[in-house]
Amino acid sequence: MSYRIARDLEEALQLLREGRGSARIIAGGTDLFLQDLPEALVDLSGTPETLGICAEEEMLIIGACVTHAEAAASPLLQEGATVLAEACGQVGSPQVRHAGTLGGNVVNAAPAADAAVGLVAMGARAVIVDTADARRQEAVENLYADYNRSRVDSSREILLHFAMRKHGPGEGSAFKRFASRKSLSLPMFSVAAVVRLEQGLLQEVRLVAAPVKPAPTRLPQVEQRLQGLPASGDTWRLAGELVREAVTVRGSTLRCTAEYRRHLAGVLAERALQEAARRAAGLKAGESK
Amino acid sequence: MKKQIIRFRLNDEPVELLADPAQSLLHLLREELELTGTKEGCGRGECGACTVLLDGRPVNSCLVPAGKVEGKQVITIEGLTRSGEARPLQEAFVAAGAVQCGFCTPGMIISAYALLKANPNPTAAEIRSAISGNLCRCTGYKQIEQAVAMAAQQGRGSSTTTKEN
Repeated sequence: MSYRIARDLEEALQLLREGRGSARIIAGGTDLFLQDLPEALVDLSGTPETLGICAEEEMLIIGACVTHAEAAASPLLQEGATVLAEACGQVGSPQVRHAGTLGGNVVNAAPAADAAVGLVAMGARAVIVDTADARRQEAVENLYADYNRSRVDSSREILLHFAMRKHGPGEGSAFKRFASRKSLSLPMFSVAAVVRLEQGLLQEVRLVAAPVKPAPTRLPQVEQRLQGLPASGDTWRLAGELVREAVTVRGSTLRCTAEYRRHLAGVLAERALQEAARRAAGLKAGESK
Repeated sequence: MKKQIIRFRLNDEPVELLADPAQSLLHLLREELELTGTKEGCGRGECGACTVLLDGRPVNSCLVPAGKVEGKQVITIEGLTRSGEARPLQEAFVAAGAVQCGFCTPGMIISAYALLKANPNPTAAEIRSAISGNLCRCTGYKQIEQAVAMAAQQGRGSSTTTKEN
Protein backbone atom coordinates (compact mmCIF):
# COMPACT_ATOMS: atom_id res chain seq x y z
CA MET A 1 0.00 0.00 0.00
CA SER A 2 1.14 3.55 -0.63
CA TYR A 3 0.27 6.60 1.41
CA ARG A 4 0.51 10.04 -0.17
CA ILE A 5 -0.22 13.36 1.48
CA ALA A 6 -1.65 15.72 -1.14
CA ARG A 7 -0.32 19.29 -1.01
CA ASP A 8 -3.37 20.72 -2.69
CA LEU A 9 -6.57 19.77 -4.45
CA GLU A 10 -4.96 19.47 -7.88
CA GLU A 11 -2.37 17.02 -6.56
CA ALA A 12 -5.09 14.98 -4.82
CA LEU A 13 -7.06 14.74 -8.07
CA GLN A 14 -3.91 13.83 -9.99
CA LEU A 15 -3.10 11.02 -7.52
CA LEU A 16 -6.64 9.66 -7.94
CA ARG A 17 -6.27 9.77 -11.75
CA GLU A 18 -2.96 7.88 -11.52
CA GLY A 19 -4.59 5.32 -9.22
CA ARG A 20 -7.25 4.50 -11.86
CA GLY A 21 -9.77 3.44 -9.26
CA SER A 22 -7.33 1.75 -6.85
CA ALA A 23 -6.50 4.92 -4.85
CA ARG A 24 -8.88 6.32 -2.29
CA ILE A 25 -9.23 9.64 -0.49
CA ILE A 26 -8.96 9.73 3.28
CA ALA A 27 -9.06 12.68 5.67
CA GLY A 28 -8.86 12.15 9.44
CA GLY A 29 -8.48 8.40 8.95
CA THR A 30 -10.26 7.51 12.20
CA ASP A 31 -12.41 4.86 10.49
CA LEU A 32 -9.64 3.54 8.23
CA PHE A 33 -8.51 0.59 10.35
CA LEU A 34 -12.09 -0.57 10.81
CA GLN A 35 -12.29 -1.31 7.05
CA ASP A 36 -10.31 -3.16 4.40
CA LEU A 37 -7.35 -1.11 3.24
CA PRO A 38 -7.21 -0.07 -0.43
CA GLU A 39 -4.04 -0.21 -2.52
CA ALA A 40 -3.28 3.49 -2.26
CA LEU A 41 -4.41 6.20 0.10
CA VAL A 42 -4.47 9.91 -0.73
CA ASP A 43 -4.54 12.05 2.41
CA LEU A 44 -6.63 15.15 1.75
CA SER A 45 -6.47 16.62 5.25
CA GLY A 46 -3.73 19.17 4.57
CA THR A 47 -5.11 20.63 1.33
CA PRO A 48 -5.89 24.34 1.75
CA GLU A 49 -9.03 24.05 -0.43
CA THR A 50 -10.68 21.83 2.19
CA LEU A 51 -9.71 23.77 5.31
CA GLY A 52 -11.22 26.67 7.20
CA ILE A 53 -14.62 28.05 8.09
CA CYS A 54 -15.79 31.34 6.64
CA ALA A 55 -18.89 33.49 6.39
CA GLU A 56 -19.84 35.05 3.06
CA GLU A 57 -22.81 37.36 3.51
CA GLU A 58 -25.62 35.12 4.77
CA MET A 59 -23.77 31.90 3.89
CA LEU A 60 -21.34 29.75 5.88
CA ILE A 61 -18.69 27.73 4.05
CA ILE A 62 -17.04 24.86 5.95
CA GLY A 63 -14.10 22.97 4.46
CA ALA A 64 -14.56 19.19 4.27
CA CYS A 65 -11.36 18.62 6.27
CA VAL A 66 -12.36 20.89 9.14
CA THR A 67 -12.17 18.69 12.25
CA HIS A 68 -15.06 18.20 14.65
CA ALA A 69 -13.02 19.94 17.34
CA GLU A 70 -12.51 23.01 15.12
CA ALA A 71 -16.19 23.13 14.19
CA ALA A 72 -17.35 22.76 17.81
CA ALA A 73 -15.05 25.58 18.94
CA SER A 74 -15.84 27.94 16.05
CA PRO A 75 -17.62 31.16 17.17
CA LEU A 76 -18.97 31.50 13.60
CA LEU A 77 -20.71 28.12 13.88
CA GLN A 78 -21.76 28.49 17.53
CA GLU A 79 -23.59 31.64 16.47
CA GLY A 80 -24.68 30.90 12.91
CA ALA A 81 -25.12 27.09 12.95
CA THR A 82 -25.55 26.27 16.64
CA VAL A 83 -26.99 22.82 15.96
CA LEU A 84 -23.92 21.86 13.93
CA ALA A 85 -21.36 23.15 16.46
CA GLU A 86 -23.26 21.30 19.18
CA ALA A 87 -23.43 18.05 17.19
CA CYS A 88 -19.72 18.19 16.32
CA GLY A 89 -18.90 18.62 20.02
CA GLN A 90 -20.52 15.25 20.76
CA VAL A 91 -18.72 13.07 18.22
CA GLY A 92 -16.67 10.25 19.82
CA SER A 93 -14.15 11.73 22.21
CA PRO A 94 -11.74 14.71 22.25
CA GLN A 95 -9.12 12.53 20.54
CA VAL A 96 -11.51 11.49 17.76
CA ARG A 97 -12.78 15.07 17.35
CA HIS A 98 -9.22 16.35 16.86
CA ALA A 99 -8.63 13.88 14.02
CA GLY A 100 -11.99 13.19 12.37
CA THR A 101 -13.37 15.63 9.81
CA LEU A 102 -16.85 16.79 8.78
CA GLY A 103 -16.32 15.50 5.24
CA GLY A 104 -15.30 12.11 6.59
CA ASN A 105 -18.32 12.04 8.89
CA VAL A 106 -20.57 12.37 5.82
CA VAL A 107 -18.68 10.16 3.34
CA ASN A 108 -18.25 7.38 5.91
CA ALA A 109 -22.06 7.31 5.75
CA ALA A 110 -22.86 5.97 9.21
CA PRO A 111 -26.59 6.39 9.77
CA ALA A 112 -26.40 8.39 13.02
CA ALA A 113 -23.20 10.37 12.57
CA ASP A 114 -23.64 13.48 14.70
CA ALA A 115 -22.07 16.05 12.37
CA ALA A 116 -24.08 14.77 9.40
CA VAL A 117 -27.31 15.15 11.39
CA GLY A 118 -26.38 18.76 12.17
CA LEU A 119 -25.46 19.45 8.53
CA VAL A 120 -28.80 18.12 7.25
CA ALA A 121 -30.66 20.23 9.85
CA MET A 122 -28.81 23.28 8.52
CA GLY A 123 -29.88 22.40 4.97
CA ALA A 124 -26.21 22.09 4.02
CA ARG A 125 -25.15 21.35 0.46
CA ALA A 126 -21.91 19.55 -0.36
CA VAL A 127 -19.68 20.75 -3.19
CA ILE A 128 -18.00 17.81 -4.93
CA VAL A 129 -15.34 17.80 -7.64
CA ASP A 130 -14.30 14.76 -9.68
CA THR A 131 -11.21 13.64 -11.58
CA ALA A 132 -12.71 15.01 -14.83
CA ASP A 133 -12.79 18.41 -13.06
CA ALA A 134 -16.61 18.49 -13.05
CA ARG A 135 -18.18 20.14 -10.02
CA ARG A 136 -21.57 19.37 -8.58
CA GLN A 137 -23.60 20.37 -5.55
CA GLU A 138 -25.84 18.02 -3.59
CA ALA A 139 -27.92 18.24 -0.46
CA VAL A 140 -26.06 16.27 2.23
CA GLU A 141 -29.01 13.89 2.79
CA ASN A 142 -28.81 12.85 -0.90
CA LEU A 143 -25.24 11.55 -0.55
CA TYR A 144 -26.25 8.21 1.01
CA ALA A 145 -26.52 5.07 -1.16
CA ASP A 146 -27.26 2.71 1.75
CA TYR A 147 -26.25 2.07 5.37
CA ASN A 148 -22.56 2.94 5.62
CA ARG A 149 -22.31 3.43 1.84
CA SER A 150 -21.83 6.88 0.36
CA ARG A 151 -22.76 8.01 -3.12
CA VAL A 152 -19.47 9.94 -3.11
CA ASP A 153 -16.99 7.64 -4.85
CA SER A 154 -13.71 8.30 -3.02
CA SER A 155 -11.68 6.76 -5.82
CA ARG A 156 -12.66 9.55 -8.25
CA GLU A 157 -14.54 12.23 -6.31
CA ILE A 158 -13.58 14.72 -3.60
CA LEU A 159 -15.97 16.45 -1.24
CA LEU A 160 -14.55 19.98 -1.03
CA HIS A 161 -16.77 21.91 1.33
CA PHE A 162 -20.25 22.42 2.74
CA ALA A 163 -22.33 25.54 2.14
CA MET A 164 -25.36 26.57 4.20
CA ARG A 165 -27.38 29.63 5.14
CA LYS A 166 -26.48 30.80 8.62
CA HIS A 167 -29.12 31.55 11.25
CA GLY A 168 -30.88 34.86 10.74
CA PRO A 169 -32.80 37.00 13.25
CA GLY A 170 -35.39 34.99 15.21
CA GLU A 171 -33.72 31.68 14.36
CA GLY A 172 -32.32 29.16 16.80
CA SER A 173 -31.29 25.51 16.76
CA ALA A 174 -30.31 22.62 18.99
CA PHE A 175 -28.99 19.05 18.84
CA LYS A 176 -30.01 16.37 21.34
CA ARG A 177 -28.72 12.81 21.50
CA PHE A 178 -28.99 9.96 23.96
CA ALA A 179 -26.37 7.26 24.40
CA SER A 180 -25.40 4.77 27.09
CA ARG A 181 -22.49 7.04 28.06
CA LYS A 182 -21.81 10.75 27.53
CA SER A 183 -18.61 10.06 25.63
CA LEU A 184 -17.26 7.37 23.30
CA SER A 185 -20.69 5.98 22.57
CA LEU A 186 -22.82 5.96 19.43
CA PRO A 187 -26.24 7.52 20.02
CA MET A 188 -29.31 5.33 20.43
CA PHE A 189 -31.13 8.23 18.85
CA SER A 190 -30.51 11.86 17.96
CA VAL A 191 -32.70 14.79 16.91
CA ALA A 192 -31.69 18.16 15.50
CA ALA A 193 -34.10 21.12 15.35
CA VAL A 194 -33.92 24.52 13.66
CA VAL A 195 -36.77 27.01 14.24
CA ARG A 196 -37.64 30.58 13.25
CA LEU A 197 -39.92 32.48 15.60
CA GLU A 198 -42.02 35.53 14.85
CA GLN A 199 -43.93 37.04 17.75
CA GLY A 200 -43.75 33.79 19.66
CA LEU A 201 -45.08 31.66 16.77
CA LEU A 202 -43.19 29.00 14.86
CA GLN A 203 -42.77 30.36 11.33
CA GLU A 204 -40.33 27.73 10.14
CA VAL A 205 -39.29 24.36 11.58
CA ARG A 206 -36.68 21.87 10.40
CA LEU A 207 -36.51 18.57 12.26
CA VAL A 208 -33.99 15.83 11.55
CA ALA A 209 -33.85 12.42 13.20
CA ALA A 210 -31.31 9.57 13.12
CA PRO A 211 -30.94 6.63 12.87
CA VAL A 212 -34.15 6.21 10.88
CA LYS A 213 -32.87 5.55 7.36
CA PRO A 214 -29.35 5.35 5.87
CA ALA A 215 -29.26 9.18 5.79
CA PRO A 216 -30.21 11.65 8.53
CA THR A 217 -33.94 12.07 7.95
CA ARG A 218 -36.03 15.25 7.71
CA LEU A 219 -39.58 14.92 9.08
CA PRO A 220 -41.58 17.23 6.76
CA GLN A 221 -45.05 16.09 7.94
CA VAL A 222 -44.19 17.02 11.52
CA GLU A 223 -42.55 20.27 10.44
CA GLN A 224 -45.71 21.33 8.59
CA ARG A 225 -48.02 20.46 11.49
CA LEU A 226 -45.99 22.67 13.83
CA GLN A 227 -45.97 25.73 11.60
CA GLY A 228 -47.88 28.67 13.07
CA LEU A 229 -48.17 27.09 16.54
CA PRO A 230 -46.97 29.00 19.62
CA ALA A 231 -43.57 28.20 21.14
CA SER A 232 -45.01 26.52 24.24
CA GLY A 233 -44.93 23.29 26.26
CA ASP A 234 -48.12 22.06 24.59
CA THR A 235 -46.55 22.44 21.18
CA TRP A 236 -43.41 20.54 22.21
CA ARG A 237 -45.53 17.70 23.64
CA LEU A 238 -47.55 17.54 20.41
CA ALA A 239 -44.28 17.50 18.46
CA GLY A 240 -43.04 14.60 20.58
CA GLU A 241 -46.18 12.58 19.80
CA LEU A 242 -45.99 13.39 16.09
CA VAL A 243 -42.32 12.39 15.90
CA ARG A 244 -43.01 9.08 17.70
CA GLU A 245 -45.65 8.32 15.06
CA ALA A 246 -43.57 9.55 12.12
CA VAL A 247 -40.32 7.66 12.60
CA THR A 248 -39.62 4.10 11.51
CA VAL A 249 -37.11 2.64 13.91
CA ARG A 250 -35.23 -0.62 14.19
CA GLY A 251 -34.10 -2.32 17.34
CA SER A 252 -30.45 -3.09 17.82
CA THR A 253 -29.07 -5.85 20.02
CA LEU A 254 -26.09 -3.62 20.79
CA ARG A 255 -27.94 -0.45 21.66
CA CYS A 256 -31.65 -0.63 22.42
CA THR A 257 -35.06 -1.98 21.40
CA ALA A 258 -37.17 -0.35 18.68
CA GLU A 259 -39.75 0.56 21.31
CA TYR A 260 -37.22 2.42 23.44
CA ARG A 261 -35.82 4.15 20.39
CA ARG A 262 -39.30 5.39 19.45
CA HIS A 263 -39.76 6.71 22.99
CA LEU A 264 -36.40 8.50 22.77
CA ALA A 265 -37.35 10.04 19.42
CA GLY A 266 -40.30 11.81 21.04
CA VAL A 267 -38.44 12.95 24.15
CA LEU A 268 -35.43 14.23 22.19
CA ALA A 269 -37.65 16.05 19.66
CA GLU A 270 -39.43 17.87 22.52
CA ARG A 271 -36.13 18.87 24.11
CA ALA A 272 -34.45 19.90 20.85
CA LEU A 273 -37.41 22.08 19.80
CA GLN A 274 -37.70 23.70 23.21
CA GLU A 275 -34.00 24.52 23.31
CA ALA A 276 -34.00 25.78 19.71
CA ALA A 277 -36.97 28.04 20.48
CA ARG A 278 -35.27 29.37 23.61
CA ARG A 279 -32.24 30.28 21.59
CA ALA A 280 -34.40 31.81 18.84
CA ALA A 281 -35.95 34.02 21.52
CA GLY A 282 -32.49 35.00 22.70
CA LEU A 283 -32.72 33.15 26.04
CA LYS A 284 -30.02 31.01 27.59
CA ALA A 285 -30.46 27.41 28.81
CA GLY A 286 -32.56 27.28 31.96
CA GLU A 287 -34.28 30.64 31.38
CA SER A 288 -37.94 30.52 30.48
CA LYS A 289 -40.14 33.16 28.99
CA MET B 1 3.47 -4.58 2.82
CA LYS B 2 5.27 -1.94 0.82
CA LYS B 3 7.37 0.35 2.98
CA GLN B 4 8.05 3.99 2.39
CA ILE B 5 10.24 6.64 4.00
CA ILE B 6 8.46 8.56 6.74
CA ARG B 7 10.02 11.74 8.16
CA PHE B 8 8.63 13.55 11.18
CA ARG B 9 9.60 15.15 14.46
CA LEU B 10 9.27 12.84 17.43
CA ASN B 11 9.66 14.34 20.91
CA ASP B 12 11.48 17.32 19.42
CA GLU B 13 13.95 15.28 17.42
CA PRO B 14 13.90 14.54 13.69
CA VAL B 15 13.12 10.92 12.78
CA GLU B 16 13.46 9.27 9.38
CA LEU B 17 12.64 5.63 8.86
CA LEU B 18 11.53 3.10 6.29
CA ALA B 19 8.23 1.72 7.47
CA ASP B 20 4.81 0.49 6.42
CA PRO B 21 2.63 3.62 6.17
CA ALA B 22 -0.54 1.56 6.62
CA GLN B 23 0.32 0.45 10.14
CA SER B 24 -0.92 2.57 13.01
CA LEU B 25 1.21 5.26 14.59
CA LEU B 26 0.82 3.28 17.84
CA HIS B 27 2.42 0.23 16.22
CA LEU B 28 5.19 2.36 14.72
CA LEU B 29 5.98 3.92 18.10
CA ARG B 30 5.92 0.72 20.13
CA GLU B 31 7.27 -1.91 17.74
CA GLU B 32 9.66 0.02 15.50
CA LEU B 33 10.79 2.89 17.72
CA GLU B 34 10.55 1.00 21.02
CA LEU B 35 8.66 3.76 22.77
CA THR B 36 6.43 1.56 24.90
CA GLY B 37 5.14 4.26 27.24
CA THR B 38 2.20 4.68 24.87
CA LYS B 39 -0.18 1.81 25.64
CA GLU B 40 -2.47 -0.26 23.46
CA GLY B 41 -5.85 -0.76 25.09
CA CYS B 42 -8.67 -1.39 22.66
CA GLY B 43 -6.85 -0.66 19.40
CA ARG B 44 -9.96 0.97 17.93
CA GLY B 45 -10.18 4.47 19.36
CA GLU B 46 -12.42 3.74 22.29
CA CYS B 47 -10.16 3.85 25.35
CA GLY B 48 -7.55 6.60 24.93
CA ALA B 49 -4.66 4.56 26.41
CA CYS B 50 -2.67 5.25 23.22
CA THR B 51 -3.16 9.05 23.26
CA VAL B 52 -0.26 11.11 21.87
CA LEU B 53 0.04 14.72 20.73
CA LEU B 54 -0.05 15.18 16.96
CA ASP B 55 0.87 18.77 16.13
CA GLY B 56 -0.03 19.62 19.71
CA ARG B 57 -3.46 17.99 19.76
CA PRO B 58 -4.35 14.78 21.60
CA VAL B 59 -5.29 11.95 19.20
CA ASN B 60 -5.64 8.15 19.45
CA SER B 61 -2.38 6.87 17.94
CA CYS B 62 -4.10 3.54 17.19
CA LEU B 63 -6.30 5.34 14.62
CA VAL B 64 -3.56 7.41 12.95
CA PRO B 65 -2.03 5.76 9.86
CA ALA B 66 1.75 6.00 10.22
CA GLY B 67 1.93 7.68 6.80
CA LYS B 68 -0.06 10.60 8.14
CA VAL B 69 2.69 11.83 10.49
CA GLU B 70 4.96 12.76 7.56
CA GLY B 71 6.16 16.33 8.23
CA LYS B 72 4.29 16.52 11.53
CA GLN B 73 5.26 16.77 15.18
CA VAL B 74 4.53 13.84 17.52
CA ILE B 75 4.94 14.04 21.30
CA THR B 76 4.64 10.87 23.40
CA ILE B 77 4.67 10.39 27.17
CA GLU B 78 8.45 9.78 26.93
CA GLY B 79 8.90 13.22 25.37
CA LEU B 80 6.87 14.97 28.06
CA THR B 81 8.72 13.10 30.79
CA ARG B 82 12.17 13.83 29.38
CA SER B 83 11.49 17.53 28.96
CA GLY B 84 10.12 17.75 32.51
CA GLU B 85 6.93 19.37 31.22
CA ALA B 86 4.73 16.65 32.70
CA ARG B 87 6.38 16.85 36.11
CA PRO B 88 3.62 18.80 37.92
CA LEU B 89 1.04 16.39 36.50
CA GLN B 90 3.09 13.32 37.41
CA GLU B 91 3.58 14.52 40.98
CA ALA B 92 -0.09 15.42 41.33
CA PHE B 93 -1.15 11.99 40.01
CA VAL B 94 1.02 10.32 42.66
CA ALA B 95 -0.09 12.65 45.45
CA ALA B 96 -3.79 12.26 44.63
CA GLY B 97 -3.63 8.47 44.28
CA ALA B 98 -4.67 8.79 40.63
CA VAL B 99 -2.51 5.85 39.55
CA GLN B 100 -3.63 2.33 40.33
CA CYS B 101 -2.77 -0.26 37.69
CA GLY B 102 -1.22 2.56 35.66
CA PHE B 103 -2.22 1.37 32.20
CA CYS B 104 -4.37 4.42 31.40
CA THR B 105 -1.96 6.87 33.04
CA PRO B 106 0.24 7.84 30.05
CA GLY B 107 -2.86 8.65 27.98
CA MET B 108 -4.46 10.50 30.87
CA ILE B 109 -1.32 12.60 31.39
CA ILE B 110 -1.20 13.49 27.68
CA SER B 111 -4.89 14.55 27.64
CA ALA B 112 -4.46 16.51 30.88
CA TYR B 113 -1.28 18.14 29.57
CA ALA B 114 -3.06 19.26 26.38
CA LEU B 115 -5.87 20.71 28.49
CA LEU B 116 -3.60 22.69 30.83
CA LYS B 117 -1.52 23.98 27.95
CA ALA B 118 -4.64 25.42 26.26
CA ASN B 119 -6.47 26.32 29.45
CA PRO B 120 -4.31 26.72 32.58
CA ASN B 121 -7.34 27.43 34.78
CA PRO B 122 -9.91 24.74 33.90
CA THR B 123 -13.23 24.22 35.65
CA ALA B 124 -14.12 20.79 37.02
CA ALA B 125 -16.41 20.30 34.00
CA GLU B 126 -13.61 21.21 31.60
CA ILE B 127 -11.32 18.68 33.29
CA ARG B 128 -13.96 15.95 32.97
CA SER B 129 -14.51 16.85 29.32
CA ALA B 130 -10.76 16.82 28.55
CA ILE B 131 -10.35 13.27 29.91
CA SER B 132 -13.69 12.01 28.56
CA GLY B 133 -11.84 10.06 25.85
CA ASN B 134 -9.66 8.20 28.36
CA LEU B 135 -11.08 5.16 30.12
CA CYS B 136 -9.84 4.14 33.56
CA ARG B 137 -11.04 0.86 35.05
CA CYS B 138 -9.47 1.30 38.50
CA THR B 139 -9.83 4.74 40.03
CA GLY B 140 -13.40 5.76 39.29
CA TYR B 141 -11.91 9.00 37.88
CA LYS B 142 -12.31 11.13 41.04
CA GLN B 143 -8.65 11.03 41.97
CA ILE B 144 -7.65 11.75 38.38
CA GLU B 145 -9.88 14.84 38.29
CA GLN B 146 -8.36 15.95 41.59
CA ALA B 147 -4.84 15.38 40.31
CA VAL B 148 -5.43 17.51 37.21
CA ALA B 149 -6.95 20.27 39.36
CA MET B 150 -3.94 20.09 41.70
CA ALA B 151 -1.48 20.32 38.82
CA ALA B 152 -3.41 23.29 37.42
CA GLN B 153 -3.26 25.02 40.77
CA GLN B 154 0.44 24.36 41.06
CA GLY B 155 0.99 25.63 37.53
CA ARG B 156 -0.73 28.90 38.44
CA GLY B 157 1.59 29.13 41.46
CA SER B 158 -1.25 30.29 43.66
CA SER B 159 -3.61 28.84 46.24
CA THR B 160 -6.85 29.86 44.50
CA THR B 161 -9.31 27.00 44.45
CA THR B 162 -10.63 25.46 41.27
CA LYS B 163 -13.85 26.95 39.95
CA GLU B 164 -16.90 24.72 40.14
CA ASN B 165 -18.32 24.22 36.62
